[in-house]
Amino acid sequence: MRTESTASEISLPWERPRNVFEARALHLVLAWSLDEPDRLGEAIPIRDAVCVGRGGALADDPAPRGQPFRMRPGTTRSCSPIASARISRLHLVVSPTGNGTAEIRSVGRAVMRVNGRACTSAEVRAGDVVEIHNAAVFLVTERPLQLPVVDEELTRFAFGAPDRFGVVGEGEAAWEMRSALAFAASTDRHVLLLGESGAGKELAARTIHGLSSRHAKSLVSRNAATMPESLLDAELFGNVKNYPNPGMPERLGLIGEADGSTLFLDEIGDLPEAHQVHLLRVLDSDGEYQRLGESKVRRSSFRLVAATNRPLEALKHDFLARFTHRVNIHGLGDRRDDIPLLLATLLKRTATRNGAIAAKFFERRGGEIAEPRLAPDLVARLLRHTFTHHVRELDRLLWLAIGSAPADYIGLTPAVEAELNDSEESATVVAPTELDRDAIVKALAENGRSPSKAAKALGLKNRYVLLRLLKKHGLSAASEDGEGEAS
Amino acid sequence: MDPRILRESLETVLAMDDKFPRRFYEILFERHPQVSSLFVRSSAGAQQKMFAQKLCAIVDHVEDAEWMTRELERMRVAHDEYGVTAEMFPWVGDALLDTLREALGSGFTAEVEQSWRVAYARLTSTLLKER
Repeated sequence: MRTESTASEISLPWERPRNVFEARALHLVLAWSLDEPDRLGEAIPIRDAVCVGRGGALADDPAPRGQPFRMRPGTTRSCSPIASARISRLHLVVSPTGNGTAEIRSVGRAVMRVNGRACTSAEVRAGDVVEIHNAAVFLVTERPLQLPVVDEELTRFAFGAPDRFGVVGEGEAAWEMRSALAFAASTDRHVLLLGESGAGKELAARTIHGLSSRHAKSLVSRNAATMPESLLDAELFGNVKNYPNPGMPERLGLIGEADGSTLFLDEIGDLPEAHQVHLLRVLDSDGEYQRLGESKVRRSSFRLVAATNRPLEALKHDFLARFTHRVNIHGLGDRRDDIPLLLATLLKRTATRNGAIAAKFFERRGGEIAEPRLAPDLVARLLRHTFTHHVRELDRLLWLAIGSAPADYIGLTPAVEAELNDSEESATVVAPTELDRDAIVKALAENGRSPSKAAKALGLKNRYVLLRLLKKHGLSAASEDGEGEAS
Repeated sequence: MDPRILRESLETVLAMDDKFPRRFYEILFERHPQVSSLFVRSSAGAQQKMFAQKLCAIVDHVEDAEWMTRELERMRVAHDEYGVTAEMFPWVGDALLDTLREALGSGFTAEVEQSWRVAYARLTSTLLKER
């Protein structure tokens, strides 16, 4: 019997369409919310035009409501509509343009700022930051509509919280890294972690150890750059008593200590080539090595997890070849959507350890420490900052903000501002429209006709900029209806 | 009572940074200092956010009878637990209306006042019904 097959009947795994995880779209990821701080990391996909606002759909919405999701590998759980009191029922209309950008239009009451500039519409792309004044901050990201499935065990922690190894992140890069670490952990082969300083390579090493069959024993951890060159072999392989000098105590060596466990060597790129060569034999499957001053051949069943922030060329090619797995530990530039979650985790940790900071900078709900009083402009600027030392730098900037805070909130102080820059890719807003007359009149009315307050609400540098605009539009700050001569 | 007027006036006052909820509690506690002891479990900022959120949710769902019944019952139970008494309801209502009047200025028209008075009266009658 002859049967006809169609493309849709193809069932061979390698012939199936792979576009499930390849379909990507811009998303608005919630990075700060005054009223709903527990919803950070939720994302609204912009596949087609969507409306963003408080509550459910309205009869006169120009497009369907953007649905916030909590995206996890293999699942996307839809969340309740935005409930923030300061966001209008219809606030933003966002439409993809088809060339990797989206047009975003503000029709709500509170002023919209894109990358710090007040505007009523803008063309945004991944990396841009959209603020709704004193209500919410969104990061525009490009991500898949679905994350590839990972071992369910890896997903057993609350959305946005640190996982059981302390890794924080719900974005594509964070899950890609977790998946790669889990795979490496399951194979018992040597692993090389590649990433810039402060990106979290030690945490990644702890994750591999924690997920491996060796987790019952303690991780042996050492920074290769801190070992004196003359003692490197003794540190690594150990030595017998009184060797090479009388009075030298017996050492197990890191490789002996790590027998049955994992040895984490950070900054392996700083290991001189000669010492890289010394490690070749022990890195082979038998784990053979000799202590200094001893002819007996020993064996250590250890797994090496090494890390470097240097180019691969800094390692000898045969040494490099011993590492079966190479895992990229992404810096914050590749995972900006995780910055709000990292901030929340760092702040929570700080509050837990320091009662005075918790009392000064955190809200209290039902007698418990709740969300931090964190200014939206600080979050917005951190989202656009180019980090060189990643999580370590974020932590330092946070402490700087806490230390220089003039009041009971953590904000963008001059000390912090002096340390920040704007990343190139996020400064790409295309021609936001000039502030129109209505926006100025509205801002004055909503701010008790105070030029200083209205200027701040409109995202202007100072009140003099507003006064110039008032003059241009023939408005006055003083008059009730906004009409008249500029003051 | 016009739900549209309620929503528009509330959105206007909530757009004034945190002034509206802060001023509401200032007025309430100034007139009735004894009430402040009911709010010690949360910080002032958290309390103000919760107030704004709850008020906004009620105004948004004022036409949704099922939601109102369910949520007001929850509110009633919570108020009982906190020690809210029947005499406090007019105090809160007056503070709410005066805060709105102060914040909206000339925008607090007779129509706006009437809508809020009717809405608050309905809310109070539901919350006091089971007492």
